[in-house]
Amino acid sequence: MSGLKELVESTQQLAQAMKITLKAAIEPPLTVESPVEPIAVYPRFRGRHELRRYENGMERCIGCALCEAACPTGAIHVEAAENTEEERHSPGERYAKVYEVNLLRCILCRDCVRACPTEAIILGRNYALANYHRQDFILTKEDLLNPPEPNVIIRVKE
Amino acid sequence: MADMVKFTIDGKEVEAPAGELLVDAAKRIGINIPVFCSHPKLDPLGACRMCLVEVEGRRGRQLVTSCTTPVSEGLVVYYDSERARAARAGTLELLLINHPLDCPICDKGGECPLQDQAMEHGNGESHFVEEKHHKNKRYPISDWIMLDQERCVVCWRCIRYLDEWEDKPQLGLYHRGGETVIDIAPGHPLDAKTSGNIVEMCPVGALTSRVSRFSYRPWELSHTDSLCTHCALGCNVRVDTRLNQVKRLLARENPAVNDQWLCDKGRFAFGYMQHESRLTQPLLRKNGTLQPASWEEALDAVTAKLVEASKQPQRVAAIGSAKVSNEANYLLQKFFRQYVHSNNIDFRHGSDIATAGRGIPSIAEFEKADLFVLFGVDMAENIPVLDLFLKRAVNRRHAKVLLINSRRVEDSRYGTLLQPAPGEEVLLLNGLSAALLKDEAIAKRAGRLSGYKAWLADMVSEPTAKLNLSESDFGGAVAMLRRAQRPLFLYGEAVAGGKSGAANVTALTNLALLLGAVDRVGYLPYDANAQGARDMGVLPDRLPGQIVLSDASAVSRLQRQWGGTVPAEPGLTYLGMLQAAAQGELDFLYVMGSDPAAEGMSEALQKVGFLVVSDLFLTETAKLADVVLPAADYVESDGTFTNLERRVQRAPKAVRAPGRAAPDWLILTHLAQRWPVVEEIKDPKRKKRGHGRTPNIWSYASPQDVLQEIARVVPMYAGLTWDALGDAGQQWPAEALPLRPRLQSVTLPTLSRRSFTHWLIAERVLYDAGQLFATTEQGHNLIMAPAVHINSHDLATASLAVGQEIQVTSPHGSVRLPLLVDENVSPGTLFVPLGLAGAPAEQLLDGQYGPVPARIEAVA
Ligand code: SF4
Ligand code: SF4
Ligand code: SF4
Ligand code: SF4
Ligand code: FES
Repeated sequence: MSGLKELVESTQQLAQAMKITLKAAIEPPLTVESPVEPIAVYPRFRGRHELRRYENGMERCIGCALCEAACPTGAIHVEAAENTEEERHSPGERYAKVYEVNLLRCILCRDCVRACPTEAIILGRNYALANYHRQDFILTKEDLLNPPEPNVIIRVKE
Repeated sequence: MADMVKFTIDGKEVEAPAGELLVDAAKRIGINIPVFCSHPKLDPLGACRMCLVEVEGRRGRQLVTSCTTPVSEGLVVYYDSERARAARAGTLELLLINHPLDCPICDKGGECPLQDQAMEHGNGESHFVEEKHHKNKRYPISDWIMLDQERCVVCWRCIRYLDEWEDKPQLGLYHRGGETVIDIAPGHPLDAKTSGNIVEMCPVGALTSRVSRFSYRPWELSHTDSLCTHCALGCNVRVDTRLNQVKRLLARENPAVNDQWLCDKGRFAFGYMQHESRLTQPLLRKNGTLQPASWEEALDAVTAKLVEASKQPQRVAAIGSAKVSNEANYLLQKFFRQYVHSNNIDFRHGSDIATAGRGIPSIAEFEKADLFVLFGVDMAENIPVLDLFLKRAVNRRHAKVLLINSRRVEDSRYGTLLQPAPGEEVLLLNGLSAALLKDEAIAKRAGRLSGYKAWLADMVSEPTAKLNLSESDFGGAVAMLRRAQRPLFLYGEAVAGGKSGAANVTALTNLALLLGAVDRVGYLPYDANAQGARDMGVLPDRLPGQIVLSDASAVSRLQRQWGGTVPAEPGLTYLGMLQAAAQGELDFLYVMGSDPAAEGMSEALQKVGFLVVSDLFLTETAKLADVVLPAADYVESDGTFTNLERRVQRAPKAVRAPGRAAPDWLILTHLAQRWPVVEEIKDPKRKKRGHGRTPNIWSYASPQDVLQEIARVVPMYAGLTWDALGDAGQQWPAEALPLRPRLQSVTLPTLSRRSFTHWLIAERVLYDAGQLFATTEQGHNLIMAPAVHINSHDLATASLAVGQEIQVTSPHGSVRLPLLVDENVSPGTLFVPLGLAGAPAEQLLDGQYGPVPARIEAVA
């Protein structure tokens, strides 16, 4: 008796499991083919840093290093220099000659963004941060001023 | 002790000396009243109103400025009252009406009293929303300093410093009210030699350094308490570094040395430390050119040559340096004495200078002396911070100044200047002595020396006529000397070197002796460690501790310490070495931190068998060398320096040396450890010889180890340790090196101009073209262009024109230079500063000490 009962029960369980499997087999996949396909992020998603410019193309960053001071992990390195008439980077007297973010240290806390008096540094929406070499995790000023267009869809409020 | 008074602040009873300023008395009990204009080193002014407090007065409670109010018995003060707080917050709000608040790009931001006080005492918000006044934001007021008029809070500190200390009121206030600005006179940038101090004193970011502009933020700097090594004063500095780079130097307070001041060279000329032209690896001459080599190779090459050369130790020599540490200098002479057995050890301005070897009595003496006799000293150019103390003594204490100098110098404005022609200084000094001896009290003191008196009287009858001096100047000088209670006699390298040096110094010492002030004669050397190099025994006839070679007991004590024997015969002096080199009599020369080739000696150096140079840069001398060893600068290694008042001070490592450069003590230790005798000693089969027959092996692991040995070997340094030196250093007492004062007759130096028409005078100036200064880009404009300075009278006689290129010829060389009219130069003399580009003065001197005969002629 008990043998038959077991057989029935296991068949039922098998059928139940197969139902899920078969259902999933015909459903479209959930996996996103990142980074080929865009990913959906919330508007306030914090991704890779970007340095912004004014509309006239001037850099917003004035090299004040307040972001560097605010950063809890020491991920930012700034060296400032003076603008000259021949070589002007930002509107005022001072600009960042060197600006580096070490992504291996950064915890994406956004303190740097909050510290910045000119809204120059922001955390963009680029989440694709993986890399093959350690040195490639250091973002230079060039990298930051010319961020790659992130492959994301911004979720709208539901 | 002043009378003490009792008063209360916020109900707390305080005791203070009567007349002390309220702000200072409050500070002592821990109440820090905020200030802007008040400064401990400046006279009270009361310009900013930041320090308002309430005091109980006859008409009730009143607001007063605590920085101008002296405390008195029973004064009742309210600091933390509501009205006082509101008044201070109101002052801040007013100060900020036009302040740009561009803190993020302001070099003061992060260490700015205005920021701090706005946070602590301000309201946080302003009633004012109007557009701010716009003024000059980027206004260079000198090559060193940038003024931002918008940030200025008109506290007058800068103005007062230049007025009260520098005695050069070069900054002023212009316009009124909200329009008030600080400015220079049009077209007259600041040229005070200590102007950088106003950058440090400015309580906001209105005055900032152009050298360090935008190169750091205060919070990211590491600090090392160190020294300045640009001159012999040894000002205390704080070296601020970031990521192994020196970013700025600040004055560090040491009341015994520099108070809280630095000169502009000390403050701003640190560019050389990280300059790209620094040597970063050893160079070895292969096939005629210097090529990079490993330390192994370089040191092996040096050792091999030196071992061979040491068979004739009199043909081996070493030049130390008054610019490097005691430790390096000590090891240099030890190595050459102990292993090479040569006493041919000296440094530039070493044994060729006549001096008692004790520097000056003390810097504190500048606060006490009532007469300064400056003989061949240009303090404004050579020791600007000491010059501040001189100015202070004159302006505040009415001290008198007597200058004896063939050239009019900046300090001439403070007293009587006697201008003897070169070679006639002794005659003048003897003339002064003879005149003083007419005074009975003085004559009585010198009574037993009737022979000297007779000789003197005989020698200097009618000095004024002979010297072409006005009777009144001469008489005035004699009166000054006679009246002086506490004279201080200072002489410089310009008169202490060369053929007439010894006579000059003896004549000055005689004069001091007559006034009973022989222990108040001081020597002002040029270089940072001139005193230390002497103390370390970098002299051909003196062992460490300035011990003479004939002192048998001291020599045997030294031999017990070192092991081995110390050579007994005095060696060659610096000039002697270079002469020997020129004769081809040197097989080996080791030059540490010195550049004789830049002083016109390259021909001589080319004849040296094997030349080894350790230096920061590929100097003219290094270019001739067979081996060049890259040395570390003083900020790159621990070391001690001894300043002109015999104060031993420490300079700890602040940054890493560039590339593979190494400190001199380490280089010398490695060389010593390669010496063959070391192998021999280490050999277990070695026959035991008598104690002390072979030199000990060196086993220094750090400069502190070397200092420990110095403290054992050099009597004046007994007991000194790195820790005991502390932040303020330790001065060894002048009595440790006793003088044997007695009047000595001096023979007049026989200087003759022969067929030449002029005397050439060459002295150091602050801003020269040497590597230590010229590598600081911001200072380039300040470097004097090479020129020969000539009096307009001489110019007229020679019928030459200003700016014209002329040929200057001395017995030693000839150069072409443009003419410059300079009324400070007396007729019959030419002045060419030392250390200018192309080294014109050095070529004319050819290693000699000035003055030398010269003539000028138009270039055909
Ligand atoms: S996000 Fe946070 S951790 Fe990352 S750089 Fe900015 S402050 Fe530093
Ligand atoms: S990003 Fe912003 S905070 Fe950072 S240095 Fe630039 S301006 Fe300053
Ligand atoms: S002077 Fe002080 S308050 Fe003014 S901008 Fe500079 S840091 Fe800010
Ligand atoms: S520049 Fe600086 S020191 Fe001079 S008055 Fe203005 S705030 Fe004061
Ligand atoms: S500090 Fe007292 S008025 Fe300026």
